[in-house]
Amino acid sequence: MEQSLSETGWVKRNRLILYAAAGTVLLLAPHVMPNNYWLRIYGMTGLWIMLALGLNVVAGFAGLLDMAYVAFFGIGAYVFALLSSSQFNIHLPFLLTLPLSALVTMGIGFALGSTSMRLKGDYLAIVTLAFAQIFRLMLLNLDRPINITGGVNGIYNLDPINLFGFTIVSPVAYSYLIWIAAILVIIGCSRLKTSRYGRGWEAIREDELAAEVMGVNTTGMKLKAFAAGAFIAGWTGAIFASFQDSVFPNNFDFPQLVIVYCMVILGGLGNVPGVIVGAVFLSILPEFLREYGAYRMMTYGLILIVLMALRPEGIMGSFAFFTKGRKRPDKDETGVLKASTDLYYQEEGGEKASGSKAFSKGDRLVLEIRDLAMNFGGIMAVSNLSFQVREREILSIIGPNGAGKTTLFNLISGIYPPSAGSIAYEGRKISGLKPHQVVKAGVARTFQNLRLFSTMSVLDNAKVGRFCRTQAGPLPILFHLPLHKREEEETDRAVKGVLRLFGARLTGYRLEQQAMFLSYANRRRLEIARALSTNAKLLMLDEPSAGMNPQETEEITEFIKRLRDQYGYTIIVIEHKLNVVRNISDKVIALDYGRKIAEGTYEEVANDKEVIEAYLGRKR
Amino acid sequence: MVFFMDIYLQQLPQQLVNGLTLGGVYALIAIGYTMVYGILFMLNFAHGEIYMIGGFVAWWVLALLTGNNVPFVNAGVLIAFMIVMAMGLSGGLGILVERFAYRPLRKAPRMNLLLSALGVSIFLQNLVLNFQGAKARSFAVASLIPEGLRVIHVGDVVISFMRILVIVVAFLLMALLTVMVKKTKVGKAMRATAQDIEAAAFMGIDTDRIIVLVFFIGSALGGAAGALVGLLFTQVDYYVGFQAGLKGFTAAVLGGIGNIFGAMLGGLILGLLESLATTFFPATYKDVVAFVVLILVLIFRPWGLMGEKIPEKV
Repeated sequence: MEQSLSETGWVKRNRLILYAAAGTVLLLAPHVMPNNYWLRIYGMTGLWIMLALGLNVVAGFAGLLDMAYVAFFGIGAYVFALLSSSQFNIHLPFLLTLPLSALVTMGIGFALGSTSMRLKGDYLAIVTLAFAQIFRLMLLNLDRPINITGGVNGIYNLDPINLFGFTIVSPVAYSYLIWIAAILVIIGCSRLKTSRYGRGWEAIREDELAAEVMGVNTTGMKLKAFAAGAFIAGWTGAIFASFQDSVFPNNFDFPQLVIVYCMVILGGLGNVPGVIVGAVFLSILPEFLREYGAYRMMTYGLILIVLMALRPEGIMGSFAFFTKGRKRPDKDETGVLKASTDLYYQEEGGEKASGSKAFSKGDRLVLEIRDLAMNFGGIMAVSNLSFQVREREILSIIGPNGAGKTTLFNLISGIYPPSAGSIAYEGRKISGLKPHQVVKAGVARTFQNLRLFSTMSVLDNAKVGRFCRTQAGPLPILFHLPLHKREEEETDRAVKGVLRLFGARLTGYRLEQQAMFLSYANRRRLEIARALSTNAKLLMLDEPSAGMNPQETEEITEFIKRLRDQYGYTIIVIEHKLNVVRNISDKVIALDYGRKIAEGTYEEVANDKEVIEAYLGRKR
Repeated sequence: MVFFMDIYLQQLPQQLVNGLTLGGVYALIAIGYTMVYGILFMLNFAHGEIYMIGGFVAWWVLALLTGNNVPFVNAGVLIAFMIVMAMGLSGGLGILVERFAYRPLRKAPRMNLLLSALGVSIFLQNLVLNFQGAKARSFAVASLIPEGLRVIHVGDVVISFMRILVIVVAFLLMALLTVMVKKTKVGKAMRATAQDIEAAAFMGIDTDRIIVLVFFIGSALGGAAGALVGLLFTQVDYYVGFQAGLKGFTAAVLGGIGNIFGAMLGGLILGLLESLATTFFPATYKDVVAFVVLILVLIFRPWGLMGEKIPEKV
């Protein structure tokens, strides 16, 4: 997504002033409202903000179309109503019912999520929509045989809130309560967004498979997004129930869902300040258009269609564009821009790759593949393949198109479970692990067809690679505990160190540039940087020089060598350019029809009869 | 228990007929979902509303051509005209929706398409609400059919004329579609586009036109379903599209989304399941059956009964 307003320099410098201003406004606002009617709208606006921000976590951050979101809002409200009314004569204090409603809702969200999380986009939307319908049917019909939900009439006459001796009944008191709760949600969401969770979610939204292969536990993270959304919905639901002093099935129906979606989309999916503006806008606007009330929902439908066609990034997108436009590359700290063919991968190591070898080839076995086979419905993409890779060795894999080279990478990185055989990394079996576990074990890869997180910045792309090396959970992130802070600093340092290896290609003003604006060659470099950031010791590079011009190819070839010699990486390369292969390989394996047809030094393989046949055909 | 089974067996033939009727309708709706999905990989959220508008078109035609419950034209012609008009206008609406809400997003992320479709759905639903009101409109069709034909007894089973009509029309339309897809040149182009839209374009197929055609056919069949349900249950309101859309989608997924014959099969199975289930469950929870089927299929066999499992290309 676009850079949000809060992250730009001006806002950061004047943070305290802005906080003070916002605080004053919030303190005064309830007292300057002309009447109770507007006070009520003011309160509702706070509720809508919370609701929209919760949906923004699920749909905006993680890109999951959660159609049961308003049902979660309803669950929170009904749980609250049941726990503090005469319905079952349970009268718990607010400080207990509020977290309880949120947690119960989160639990239900978690349960629904864990059954449906394997489903992709549209399917998830439909299953959650079906769940929302079942929920509504239950609300309407669970007044018989025992009266639980109160049927159509709902539950009313809830207990007044009692907080530290104050009873909250007046609209002004409610305004404060709601807005304090809203501020907590705003802070929580902003913190989530800039944490490892936020980056993990964004990566999933951009490219789920790439996120998984870069070490993000996608299933777990999606589930967490779902649960976080449900938590906020439940939290808002409880406060809403108390504010309205009643709950009805009609409060939690499809139109409400559409309104929340409109707010989030108007503000821009994933953009926290934007969503707040969207929610405020759509809460207040209808009040000025009272006489056209009948057309309200129709307008919302139109808003969705028009925004999706013209401005899918939301109304706030333009602001970010505006402020970012001012950052001029030529006035940046990197100094003069160099022509892209210059060679300057040299900052950290001092001089160029030649000569200074920090590492030499070891004998330790790093990767051992035994009798590996992959069967795609009868087609053997890989069969009976065995080989070994030793420490600090560069192994090149060559072979004609369709020889099974990329399938081999997919097998090693855990995207496909092998049909037979085993893969061991440093003596530990990694076949059967999920891709994110393979990365954590120490094997990272790049993609032949480039799968960067295109709307994320260069820095954040690389930071996603650190996901599997950090642990901070929701609590350290939300409360900025030392664990989170330490890990963020460590992540920043490590990632910048990796990016510096590529010189000005990926650093300087480019750190903040979105990956989609990079040149083709730089995108290839970022893929490698992202893989390096995972701290993996075994790298698998899928055609690292594809699409590069001769000079860039030479440069990347030198760089790969340097990764081995100066930084001690073990590398497997799939490469078509044979001069690159000759230049870097310690060992070459040739594949054809999924079988190994030759293994040895470059010269041995290049002169192998079967290899020549595979490439050129049989001599007559 | 034995007593229960007895009742069940007694009702079985009747429920089978009911299920077949319902199934035919679901199948018609499901085809619209599945055809669009087959080519664009998008879930046309607005399809349910198109079905609903088909029902309204049929009602308008009926209201225009009858006075005091007496039709101005031959009853058979009237019913045929209702169905044809519903199909034509729904189909045209489908084309409009594609042109204005979906085509600009052809290259956008799928989530945007889905949200746009959601917008179309809300828009159409509230458009009808604003112009027709929330009140259900009833079809005064009882008098259209001669006394002797209204119900037909086959043994213990009572079949109304309308049920027979629905089954016949639904199966006729499905048969026509099958012939078109399998035997005609344009059907071949449609199949090619569904397999690989780019390759089809390179082979000289105007894929934009095929997409328009697919939206027309799918929406027309949805409109026909709306008209048929109106004739059968004699009611339509602005909100019926939502449920029907979910049912149609369930049927499409059950059969294997993207597969036209799967959609037909899925529709029939879902209709039968639903009417057989009403014997066991209170009617208020009837709709839950479809949702449970949907969730189970999506979790255990997301590629459906007739769909193929395709591994993700990396």
